[in-house]
Amino acid sequence: MIQTTHLQKSFGAVQAVQDLSFNAPDGAITGLLGSNGAGKTTTLRMICGVLQPDRGSVRIDNVAPSSDPRLLQSRVGALLDHIGIYPRLTTRENLNYFGELRGIPRGQLAKRVDQVLSQLGLEAIADRRTAGFSQGERMKTALARAILHSPQNLLLDEPGNGLDVPSVRAVRLLLRQMRDSGMCIVLSSHILDEVRILCDHVAVVSGGRIVAQGAPGDLCRETASASLEDAYMKLTNNQENLECSASL
Amino acid sequence: MLSQPLIVARKEIQDHLRDTRSVISSLFYALMGPMVVGMVSIATRGQKASEVLFSMMAVFALVAGFVGGMNVAIDAIAGERERRSLLPLLMNPLLRRDVIIGKWLAISLFAVAGLVLNLLGFALVVSFSPARLLIVAFTLIPLALFAAALELLISTSCHNIKEAHTYLSLIIFVPMGIGMFLVFFPHMARAWMFLPVAGQQLLIELVAKGGQLSLLSFSLLTVTTLAFAAATLAIAAHLLQRDDVVYGG
Repeated sequence: MIQTTHLQKSFGAVQAVQDLSFNAPDGAITGLLGSNGAGKTTTLRMICGVLQPDRGSVRIDNVAPSSDPRLLQSRVGALLDHIGIYPRLTTRENLNYFGELRGIPRGQLAKRVDQVLSQLGLEAIADRRTAGFSQGERMKTALARAILHSPQNLLLDEPGNGLDVPSVRAVRLLLRQMRDSGMCIVLSSHILDEVRILCDHVAVVSGGRIVAQGAPGDLCRETASASLEDAYMKLTNNQENLECSASL
Repeated sequence: MLSQPLIVARKEIQDHLRDTRSVISSLFYALMGPMVVGMVSIATRGQKASEVLFSMMAVFALVAGFVGGMNVAIDAIAGERERRSLLPLLMNPLLRRDVIIGKWLAISLFAVAGLVLNLLGFALVVSFSPARLLIVAFTLIPLALFAAALELLISTSCHNIKEAHTYLSLIIFVPMGIGMFLVFFPHMARAWMFLPVAGQQLLIELVAKGGQLSLLSFSLLTVTTLAFAAATLAIAAHLLQRDDVVYGG
């Protein structure tokens, strides 16, 4: 379970996240929906402990917020916009490295790596160096790295990017299986179809704030919209209009 | 189970040993000195000549300590940032200080290996006494550790491989520049004899001229050099905490 409370983060004069609070429960896929620059990636980076918020807090699995980001990091797996893998290492070696850094005992690690490779259909390229991998193969290797330590919470930033249709379907199936096993999954996207198909719960982000949250159907009903796209446009336009009025 | 800095170091070593181009270039740098001095030694005879050859050897050995880990250093942070693998690394529950220590250990290994290979080359081609070569090795190993820390700091503050390569190429001129400075301003030698680079150059010069080596001076120089290395690593670890350093570029 992930709970953010009044998160704020600025980079110089740019306020990326202004006052962002949302809950992502266990056993559900929560979508952070917003346009480019809305603050989704910054929020995910704060949740996974690589960025420290200026104000506000992140609570994961009811563990009290702490200044030591390792407490959060041990409970979260993440596939964010940086998916770099080591080109001179094989897929298996890449995974072994991160498994060791996560403290998975050596005996269990080999088994777990095999399991994850099989889950993502990476067996055929398990012992190939990753230099020259296609974007889809790189994405799947990075996703394998994110779920290697069997985290209770998984963060995904635009997970469909660069994947072909069969891979997108395979990843969706995997995410649903993980959700059904009780994991908390948060994914950010600006692709409405992806959010509509996958997410049980949606938080709409605009200008660094949550402007609405609820089930996709509820958002449509509340805004009297026929589709999630219409609902999203109404919610974000309203927010932008409010910001314009405030600045006048 | 290895500690996290050792896991990072082992991966860096394994990764870098597969970079054939970089390993060959490091080997070339390490063996260039013995080849040059070996050729000069054929044409030179006498006591004065031996002193000149020893001084030449010292300059090459000093540069070898600086160059040996350079390619690893470039890849260590600037390379990670360029290939967008730094963020996934920092998402793991490990201290950024441990990332820096692990990478420094790997760079140091290559720097010391470059230096040792260089001195072994000299032992083969020129008839310096093993005792004098050992003194040079023990004098320069702490300097190679400091050079590794300095190179890692530069790599941490650079946005990409090209930028890191530009600045790190210039670092070779540090030992050369300080050496030249001391030639023109020999009265500064006393003040600088406990500082890294200058101290090692002065000490080796003393050995070259057949002077008596003071154990106290040697120990003090080693301690100050290692202290400089530790301070440089602390700055690098501090830099790696900054958002603009992690995400910039």
